[in-house]
Amino acid sequence: MSDFYQTGIITTLHNLGKPSLERIEGELEQFGKTRPVALVLPSLYSEFEGPAMPRIVEELAKVKYLCEVVLVLDKATEREFRKVREFLAPIKSGVSVIHNDGKRVQEIYDTLKRNELDAGQRGKGRSAWLAYGYILASGKCDVIALHDCDIVTYSREMLARLCYPVVNPNLDYVFCKGYYSRVTNKMHGRVTRLLITPLVRSLEMLTGQHRFLRFLDSFRYPLAGEFAMSTDLARVNRIPWDWGLEVGSLAEVYRNYSPRRVCQVDIAANYEHKHQALSAGDAEQGLMKMTVDICKSIFRTLASEGVIFSDGLFKSLSVAYLRMAEDTIMKYEADAAINGLEFDRHEEANAVEAFTKAIRLAAQVYMETPMGTPLIPNWNRVTSAIPGILEMLKTAVDRDNQ
Amino acid sequence: MQDFLMLVLEPFHEVFAGFKRFAPNILAMLTILIGGLITARVVRLLLRKTLTALNFDAWSDRMGFTVMMRKSDVWTKPTEAVTRSVFWFLVIFTIMIGLSALKVQAVDNLVAQFFLYLPRVFSAVLILVIGYVAAGFISRTVLISLVNRGYHYAKLLAEAVRLLLVVLILAMALEQLAVAPNIVVAAFSIIFGGIVIALAIAFGVGGIDAARRVIEKGASEKVEQKDEIQHL
Repeated sequence: MSDFYQTGIITTLHNLGKPSLERIEGELEQFGKTRPVALVLPSLYSEFEGPAMPRIVEELAKVKYLCEVVLVLDKATEREFRKVREFLAPIKSGVSVIHNDGKRVQEIYDTLKRNELDAGQRGKGRSAWLAYGYILASGKCDVIALHDCDIVTYSREMLARLCYPVVNPNLDYVFCKGYYSRVTNKMHGRVTRLLITPLVRSLEMLTGQHRFLRFLDSFRYPLAGEFAMSTDLARVNRIPWDWGLEVGSLAEVYRNYSPRRVCQVDIAANYEHKHQALSAGDAEQGLMKMTVDICKSIFRTLASEGVIFSDGLFKSLSVAYLRMAEDTIMKYEADAAINGLEFDRHEEANAVEAFTKAIRLAAQVYMETPMGTPLIPNWNRVTSAIPGILEMLKTAVDRDNQ
Repeated sequence: MQDFLMLVLEPFHEVFAGFKRFAPNILAMLTILIGGLITARVVRLLLRKTLTALNFDAWSDRMGFTVMMRKSDVWTKPTEAVTRSVFWFLVIFTIMIGLSALKVQAVDNLVAQFFLYLPRVFSAVLILVIGYVAAGFISRTVLISLVNRGYHYAKLLAEAVRLLLVVLILAMALEQLAVAPNIVVAAFSIIFGGIVIALAIAFGVGGIDAARRVIEKGASEKVEQKDEIQHL
């Protein structure tokens, strides 16, 4: 059982006692009548061939409160698209599958491109953004929940707990992020444990108290891919299309809403999904690419908040981070020891060294191109440039699904 | 024997003579067709380059023509759709002119009918394009004004207005194309009249109290406005 301590400037909703899933789902059904919920699932076709997706579909088939399910299918042929639609048939609320490589959806991207709107490169960010557009075009839902499609330990309780704070009108949260522990026989989540937290705290040490850093540090798992939000937020938020998606999205939430309306919720006792290779030697792949993108996103957000970065600051940051990360390793070693978990200190130290290198690379890129934010424009701007784009998108998806 | 031979060869001579008379017509038709096809291709190329230079696709996106195309399940670029339409129009035009060069009575009648029908097609297309833009504009105006007045069903009413206008425009276009004009006019009158009668009955009978409240509210507001202090 978790503790009930509140940290940071956002609300933390813990998993206390034995909350009944039936009660939460019953309440969600009631609240859903006035605040309908849409679920967004960004996925690759390859995920349908893995162990996670059959379980997710089986669980979602039991969920009654969802008004709309939108699955964005990437890297799939026409035949695979049809197979996926058959695969998703058990889900009662019906699933609108956005075929990213389909002729009609590609024409939507072309329309954006010729109007000088950059939807970015293929990836989770762009898929999520497109799904929000479809939900806004449908105009049926007030709340959007999103989770990945590679969760091996998925249960519908995760979704219920994720949606509850935003769907319940008495709580009035506009954004809710999921958190969980990622433990098997050892601790996972290296980027969160050994990069984000030490980096944010080092930055706080060097630049002084900053509200965005406090906001970021308040999240127990800022890189969790699971969140729920109001559809208004989907309209105004700009989404990064690179690996800075999670941190960049949090930055946009911070920019648009008060932290009082933001919360995080414990959605699972344990969570298991696919693990990325570290690939310390190649900054264009694996965790290294991810960490460089995350660091760039943090630097650019802080710069936009008025923090001045210089060569000296970045040099001090590398040293401060390294020290802070090494201290963190010791804390986790103790945590692993008391819980009887495996702990490879050498592997953790290697990860920290790779992350230090990633921070330096990100700093270099930032100094060269401080403006280069890979943000997809928000839907308000897109509809202002092309008034009929949402209608076009809806037509494309509905025709594909006929 | 000579007579018999003549009798046999005569039809061949006649056919050959007829062919000699007709051959220049065929040649003229082929020349027209080849020339027309080359012209159509050149026009298509020039039109495509001009429209691309004018950024016609982006303009169509903003004006709502692309949405109209997508709703009709046409997923090519607007420039491509226009150039293809112009190309095929020129091809059909060329075929018609080519056929008229054959100087065959039945074909001439067909060609004449085609050219007489062309203005109707132009008018119908014009009605559809202008009507679609106007319907969108009016619907948007209704939506904004009703939202500002705080009506709950603003979107529904705006969509209803748009639907009615689209029905009206389609009826006008079909009437212009002379496609079963009597049926179109009758069907439109019945549908439109039916809707108006239904609304009148709904408002006059079902919503009699609501109507009274609206009128009384309007009257009382006027009276209140009169009582207000007038600033210098």
